[in-house]
Amino acid sequence: MVEVEILNPGTFASARATLQPGETFLSDSGAMVRMSGNITSEVTTLRREGGGVMGALKRVLAKESFFMSTYQTTDGLPGEVILAPTHQGDILTLESTATEKWVCSGGSFLGGESTLRLDPSFQGFKGFFTGEAPFFLNVIGDGKFFVNGFGRLSLIETHDGVAVDTGHLIAFTQGMEYKISKAAKGWISSMASGEGLVMRFSGKGKVIVQSHDPTRLGALIGPMLPPREA
Amino acid sequence: MVETSRGPLMEHTIVGNPDYGELLVTLAADEVLIAESGAMSRMSPHMRVKTVSIGSFGKALWRRLTAKESVFAGKFSDPEGGEVAVSPNLPGTVFHREMQGGDDKVYLTGGSFLACTPGIKLRSRFGGFRSFFSGEGVFILEATGEGSIWYSGYGACFERHVEGALTVDTGHVVAWDPSLDYTIKGMGSLKTTLFSGEGLVMNFTGSGTIVLQTRTAPGIADWISPLLPV
Repeated sequence: MVEVEILNPGTFASARATLQPGETFLSDSGAMVRMSGNITSEVTTLRREGGGVMGALKRVLAKESFFMSTYQTTDGLPGEVILAPTHQGDILTLESTATEKWVCSGGSFLGGESTLRLDPSFQGFKGFFTGEAPFFLNVIGDGKFFVNGFGRLSLIETHDGVAVDTGHLIAFTQGMEYKISKAAKGWISSMASGEGLVMRFSGKGKVIVQSHDPTRLGALIGPMLPPREA
Repeated sequence: MVETSRGPLMEHTIVGNPDYGELLVTLAADEVLIAESGAMSRMSPHMRVKTVSIGSFGKALWRRLTAKESVFAGKFSDPEGGEVAVSPNLPGTVFHREMQGGDDKVYLTGGSFLACTPGIKLRSRFGGFRSFFSGEGVFILEATGEGSIWYSGYGACFERHVEGALTVDTGHVVAWDPSLDYTIKGMGSLKTTLFSGEGLVMNFTGSGTIVLQTRTAPGIADWISPLLPV
């Protein structure tokens, strides 16, 4: 297993993966901050099992970048890779095991061991249309990986369920039952209260939530910026 | 004067200050929390969400037009009791203040309000001619009543007790006690004032508490604007 560590947890967290000879690690292609001189990185699209070009395209839709980078050492010595998200916020290390598998929201997967595959064909909300774009990736296989978010990340271990605003959801364990529904009873009330849609998880499992919602930051700062040229 | 009795304080925790503060509230059965539109990130599965305007609809609309506060707010309650987490749109510090009713009053700048208990009244108030130069908006929010109010500022914030006088850069005020009065002052000559943008300051005098933010939203917008591609 690749040795991993979160550096400076909190607002400006980054993640370190220490690779032994023969070990490989992958990340979102824009996430690498620095790496040892003996490490090579190879840029690939999604792994074959993910469906080649179509898989890569789906990952664009999931707000995961088109390309992934794969890292390994070249000279038989250990080396390290440091990863960081673009925006400010915390990183958590999760582990995909035979008994605990995860689903990540689009954009929250930072990097992980190459034994993992990302499956963009998660069809939980087929035909669902919303501005908050609930698009998710199934994490397949065993290994450690990082998720990042805007602000603090809270891991909620729930026994009787939790309702999460779709703009705050980072990841959840597979096997939890959930449905997307309005926050309030009626549509008008849900929209007017500003809460829109929530994911209602029921049963036992883990859910990771980010403290802040980038969409709300954008809504505040956006009008203060110069208009975008077409 | 009749002594008003106060109910027990609503159970709450503020976590993540000073950079990603969020408010976690544990509601007893049928206890009510009112929160800024869109501020909820997660809640117990049976939490009821309703849309309310704080005060009459007309007053809420007036606050929207003047102090840029949302017309609607979310009203959260749970027949069996439950938890709800809310966060501001900008990363920063969350503050709590217990309002005593009667003459107890606090002024908030537009956009600072996060949540309150039902006994709190919010009113939009013209800040006077001087407010045109305060960088805080021409209208301010006046909170009165009895119960808890939570508000927030951008970035790390600090609370200071003023005894005498305090000079504050315009745009950095989050909240202050009515026992403090302020005047707008030019710092240096008229030429400096007109050309530096640093010229105007708010000069607070009296005895009371003031809360200041270390960053401003227009400030970050100005900083980002020239960096955006045309």
